[in-house]
Amino acid sequence: MEELGKKTLQEPRIKFDNVSKVFETRSQEIVAVKDYSMEVLTGEFVSIIGPSGCGKSTLIRMLDGIIKPTYGAIYLDGIQVNEEGKMPKETLRKMGFIFQQPNLLPWYTVRENVALPLRIFGLSGQAWEKRVDELLELVGLTKSGQLFPYEISGGMLQRAGVIRAMVHDPEILLMDEPFGALDELTREQLNMELLDIWKETRKTIIFITHNVEEAVLLSSRIYIMGTQPGRLVSTVNIDLPRPRSLKMITQPEFISYKQKLTKLIGDLDLSKIK
Amino acid sequence: MNTTTAVQKKRKPESIGSGYLNILAPLIVLVILIAALEFFTRAFGISRFVLPPPTDIIAQTISNFPEIWPHFLFTLKIVAIGFMISVPLGMLIAALFSQYEILVKAISPVIIWLVITPMITLIPLIMLWLGTDPNLRVIVVIIQATPIITLNTLNGFTNIEGEKLELAKSVGASKRQTFIKIIFMNAMPQVFTGIKLGCIFSTIGAISADFVAGTVGLGSRIVQYTKYNSIELSYGCIIIIALIGICLFSIVELIEKRIVLWKN
Repeated sequence: MEELGKKTLQEPRIKFDNVSKVFETRSQEIVAVKDYSMEVLTGEFVSIIGPSGCGKSTLIRMLDGIIKPTYGAIYLDGIQVNEEGKMPKETLRKMGFIFQQPNLLPWYTVRENVALPLRIFGLSGQAWEKRVDELLELVGLTKSGQLFPYEISGGMLQRAGVIRAMVHDPEILLMDEPFGALDELTREQLNMELLDIWKETRKTIIFITHNVEEAVLLSSRIYIMGTQPGRLVSTVNIDLPRPRSLKMITQPEFISYKQKLTKLIGDLDLSKIK
Repeated sequence: MNTTTAVQKKRKPESIGSGYLNILAPLIVLVILIAALEFFTRAFGISRFVLPPPTDIIAQTISNFPEIWPHFLFTLKIVAIGFMISVPLGMLIAALFSQYEILVKAISPVIIWLVITPMITLIPLIMLWLGTDPNLRVIVVIIQATPIITLNTLNGFTNIEGEKLELAKSVGASKRQTFIKIIFMNAMPQVFTGIKLGCIFSTIGAISADFVAGTVGLGSRIVQYTKYNSIELSYGCIIIIALIGICLFSIVELIEKRIVLWKN
């Protein structure tokens, strides 16, 4: 009920309204996402979970102007963003995209990589440069700033990828399975760092993952997607207290959420086989 | 914020000693090779028409150097000018075509065809069209070297990870910014491969043009010397030609090491 009350008070920050994406190959049309709707409020941390190929990455790519939806509308602060042509820079500046791979450019130093969005958005000046250094310090990369990406470890690379997405001070972070390629320990640690960042800055975060535990630990709400075609299957609110920590993983409440989600995803796979 | 994961400083495992060794090792091989040839030619009494002893080649080349010098300068000029035109030209053509996927597809077979065609076959025609001025051999160098540079550069421009382009889109990079900061930089190693091949092709172009006609250039000297049985000098000219190519190649490699500091 409280959730409902909030919604009437607040305009959704992000709204997907019956969004579909159809990719055309030579022989057939592939429906990557079908009739997807979702509303995210300012400062929320939501996850989208689902098996590979369910179109979850496609969703945030459509929001960030990387690809265009075939049908439906996407709104950011009440303004439709998927209209014809390139997304304006002011809109893109509101968002930061974190890729599955660190996706740093090997020809730039770590610092140059982190500062890249500033150069492209045309944000210059002492304050912005200071911000780059502060972010590097935040994730312990100060000494690595002048190194090339090949000279630092995978966890460090992904940290650089995260702060690059934050350097232009976006209010929304879009994360595409950002820590999926890392080992378990680094992944857990980065998740905790992410929660810290979220707590301090109250950014709106859409987090794509296929890891149930990670999703429960981080999110306020989880959207479960199914495949063929990629579609929204159900939504689960996670009412665990915050701040959250790794200790919670063993608590009964956490485990019951995990089981609930695992079951929902499991049913999904069965329905697919039919 | 936690920073327990340490920065792994992977420095290149090169010490000063191994740096010297890198230069010294090929030199030792070269000396051994020359010594072996010297021994082989003298011990088995190989005819000097087949292979003169290396010391004879070196001695005769040095004593006849005043005669070879202007030809060396001419060939060097043709190679250098041709190469310096081919590099920007080849890259420019690649940059223009890479803007449109359909153009890349349309033009690639033509470029491969140009790379494969030995330009020596065109030389008599070029002379027919443009005259016999030896300086026109620059054109032969350009048509020999440009396609291989274009081909490699084009490959570099089109072989790019989708995620890098997605990054550009997610920050709203313009077409120009995407090209300069991402596509071009990404292609850099392949561009240099093209340029290095361009060095080799430039030398080939210049010498083959010499062979067809004319009395200047190291290529025409080889023809002359062989005709008058000065085999040692023919070999001498071949070595000088190789040295021109090697020097050009080394200069490009040196520049590459200064620019391409990263590993892909």
